[in-house]
Amino acid sequence: MAYDYTDLQQGDQIAYTEDHEDLKKSVRKFVAEVIRPASIELDKMSPDDVVKKDSPYWQCMRQMHELGYHTIFIPEEYGGIGLDALGLHIFFEEMAFGSIGLAVACGVDVFPTFFAAMILPEFPELEDSILRPYVADKDCSMLGCWAITEPEHGSDILTPFQAHFHNPKISHQLVGKRDGDDWILNGQKAAWVSNGTTATMALLFFGTDRSMGLAGGGIAIADLEEKGVSRGKPLDKIGQRDLPQGEIYFDDVRVSKDRVVCDHEAYENMTDLVLGAANAHMAIMCLGGARAAFEETLRYSRERIQGGKALCEHQDVQRKLADMFIKIEAGRQLSRNVMSFNLYNFPPMTGYSMTSKVFCSNMAFDVAQQAVQIFGGNGLSKEYLIEKLFRDITSTRIEDGSNESLTLAIGHDILFGEKPY
Amino acid sequence: MAVFKDTDHLYETLGGFWKFLYDNDAFSGALKKADLTIKFEISDPAAVIWVSPDGIEFGEKSAKADVTMRLSADTCHAYWKKDISLPVALAKRKIVSKGNIAKVMKLLPVVKPAYEFYPQYMAKHGL
Repeated sequence: MAYDYTDLQQGDQIAYTEDHEDLKKSVRKFVAEVIRPASIELDKMSPDDVVKKDSPYWQCMRQMHELGYHTIFIPEEYGGIGLDALGLHIFFEEMAFGSIGLAVACGVDVFPTFFAAMILPEFPELEDSILRPYVADKDCSMLGCWAITEPEHGSDILTPFQAHFHNPKISHQLVGKRDGDDWILNGQKAAWVSNGTTATMALLFFGTDRSMGLAGGGIAIADLEEKGVSRGKPLDKIGQRDLPQGEIYFDDVRVSKDRVVCDHEAYENMTDLVLGAANAHMAIMCLGGARAAFEETLRYSRERIQGGKALCEHQDVQRKLADMFIKIEAGRQLSRNVMSFNLYNFPPMTGYSMTSKVFCSNMAFDVAQQAVQIFGGNGLSKEYLIEKLFRDITSTRIEDGSNESLTLAIGHDILFGEKPY
Repeated sequence: MAVFKDTDHLYETLGGFWKFLYDNDAFSGALKKADLTIKFEISDPAAVIWVSPDGIEFGEKSAKADVTMRLSADTCHAYWKKDISLPVALAKRKIVSKGNIAKVMKLLPVVKPAYEFYPQYMAKHGL
């Protein structure tokens, strides 16, 4: 048996242009002026205050909509910005540099509308009911989320093609029942739904056939302002406190057939496809967070005097900074290559997206940990930003699939996947 | 039973449908604006259709496509008949694509009327 890796250079290699440079500059400016200050303020607020309509969270989301940042995945023909893979990478690295939480909020916002655009040929009415109004939305009256995890299902519901996914004893807690062509939904989604307490619509994963286990599911573009939908209390978390998360409850909620992306026939494959896209993006968020920790540390090391000289003049600090830099650069190259490959190849090589997410989140954690060490006692104090960055980064090793579960899935993919190594 | 009898039949019907689309200024204009070349590598029966700003061509040639889509002739037919959606077809590996799929999505607004017309066009050809 011949062994071979997938050469990610087969993905479309996009030349870095002036447009990319301009994008980087404009997002960087927005992040410095709006995202980072808001994120710091939100971090100190209670979860209930974060979701209040006049909070910095809503101000940020509204400004993102005004700038069209909610349309970066929507083609220009529909009025969107429609960034290429490199543009998306630059965008999310810069956004996450300012705040991983608000970058995630921006990323999941587009999920329902992006899928609506994909099924337009079948359901053209979605153009007027979702796509066009969302693209035109400037005041954030339309906001999306990705609702997949459930109280009893976290990483397991994200990792298809394994034995647990077909175990009839493990099934969705949000259950759909057919009513003619429509679905009636009952149950709940987990407290971990990003934008869960604020979104008006969701790319919603639900159970359709318990006998198939988690593979018996469907995906819908659900209106969260429908009768029967209610929300849980905003979650109080260690980090990414600027990202509102909370349960969504469904009590006899009707979803019409023109809002259903797929049923159990394609559910498992579709989950894989969505995970492939989500993990590729999550890796970039980690990279942005790591760079924020690194740059904060670099600046501090030039200012802070210890032992009679600036920290950066100590050889061991230089070694640590170099180590952080090396890790970040490796993370950027991996996450860019995976993004280019998987955004332009369907079905995506989801194992590589998971690899990128696991690598970049572990890398970000290592960088943040070293950063705190360089800050010394100050790194443990809320007075310094690095303490917040460390807490924000800690979450990334669990969100979008815990690294342990994803690593097991990568192992499964290497040995038994579509293209075994 | 396969929808298309053989390669010639596919070129005559499905290929003809693409040529019909290209004759529409809105479609060919959108292709030119997007500067987009799509190569369809079709199986059962085997065929290759090129959709580019220069027109519709059949068969292998030494050109580079922006997007390559590998799929069966029956999947082509099902897609145009709206029996299968693009995300489901991609997820179920019924369509394997390489290249910027977002570029293809740019064409969706201009091909919208074609979905309605496809059944009529195929009916004329006895399909």
